[in-house]
Amino acid sequence: MYKVAVSGINAVDNPGPGVGIAKSLKEGDKELRVFGLAYDAMEPGIYMDWLIDRSFIMPYPSEGEELFLNRLLYIKEKYGLDAVIPALDAELPLFIKGAQYLKNLGIKTFLPTQEQFNLRAKDKLPEVAERIGVKVPRTVVVTSYEELSKAVSELGFPVMIKGIFYKAYKVQNMAQATAYFNSIVSEWGYPIIVQEVVSGEEMNVVGVGDGEGGHFGLVGIKKLWITSLGKIWTGVTVKNEKLLEAVEGFVSVYSWRGAFEFECIATDSDVYLIEINPRFPAWVYFSTGVGVNLPYRLLQAALGVEPERSWDYEAGKLYVRYTDDLVTDMGRFQKIVTSGEV
Amino acid sequence: MGKLQKLAMSDEGFIFDPETGSSFTVNQTGLFILKLLKEGKSQEEVVEALTEEFDVSREEAARDLIDFLEQLRLNGLLREEKSV
Repeated sequence: MYKVAVSGINAVDNPGPGVGIAKSLKEGDKELRVFGLAYDAMEPGIYMDWLIDRSFIMPYPSEGEELFLNRLLYIKEKYGLDAVIPALDAELPLFIKGAQYLKNLGIKTFLPTQEQFNLRAKDKLPEVAERIGVKVPRTVVVTSYEELSKAVSELGFPVMIKGIFYKAYKVQNMAQATAYFNSIVSEWGYPIIVQEVVSGEEMNVVGVGDGEGGHFGLVGIKKLWITSLGKIWTGVTVKNEKLLEAVEGFVSVYSWRGAFEFECIATDSDVYLIEINPRFPAWVYFSTGVGVNLPYRLLQAALGVEPERSWDYEAGKLYVRYTDDLVTDMGRFQKIVTSGEV
Repeated sequence: MGKLQKLAMSDEGFIFDPETGSSFTVNQTGLFILKLLKEGKSQEEVVEALTEEFDVSREEAARDLIDFLEQLRLNGLLREEKSV
């Protein structure tokens, strides 16, 4: 029986993708054990034992590569571990760098290369868009208040104020622009991206590239209802040919390997690229629910098994997220706190 | 395939656009018109069908159809460049 570790099991109001990945893996055609990699004893996935068979507290990636990889090695030696599906942005550079080392230990991954990972930076998007024949909203990268003023006067309100990796706010005036500029700088540093607001339908595509220009399936969705943090709560599958063609172009031009989420705005005539995430989104179970089990396909690819490639999903399938709760013994919490695993 | 041909329509008047993910509801008259347009009927033919199906004059049917087509256009269900 394969043993697979999944991170991002923080199924909270800003959920990580881990629980959706675990749920998808459990729906694959082979029985497997899923290990959860957590950073806090309170991550809900730890307590969802019907999806996550065993959980481990991990050292933060920022504490160093060796510590992190040793923890995986410990899991491998004690319980067996065939593959890892990392799901959090902050872990990816470490996993990408350590992929060969992990492979030598018998722990498989299926990840983008460092060059592909670098494409996620928002200042790289115009270049990507040009190569795959889509547009990007007019964008100015700024590193000072003077440049911010100049950028907004060029673009005109409303504009988006974004951090290079995280955070994005729509602002209507200079006071708001300055406030969010300062808030992002204090949290994430420079540069700040000032971007034109394009009106159209916000759509996302999740997929897994095969690393050779093809893919193991794509699913396009539109978010219908989002939380105050901008996270999807309900969504619907869409089949927008222009968008899917653009994504296939992206996968082919860059020979993308592994999971990705392609975020864009589609108008009647154009597709505007907004963001590329080099991992599964938190709503990845939506793809599984419409018959395209991308996490399981990625796992197969990692294990060297040729996955299914059909992705003829139906447009108009609805995704509904909901809150749930459970009651368990204090013992589980106590165990993970004291021994780092449960 | 034209935009209208791609729309999913239920008998209850629920319309789903698979390209944009937007959904709409129309009344039975709207649904009657949309089904005819989807079949490729011309504006003239739709007016004709409306006068046969409902107790309405040709002028009134033509006026209401123009209004309805404008609504479809505003909601992105008819491409601007195409005339029906």
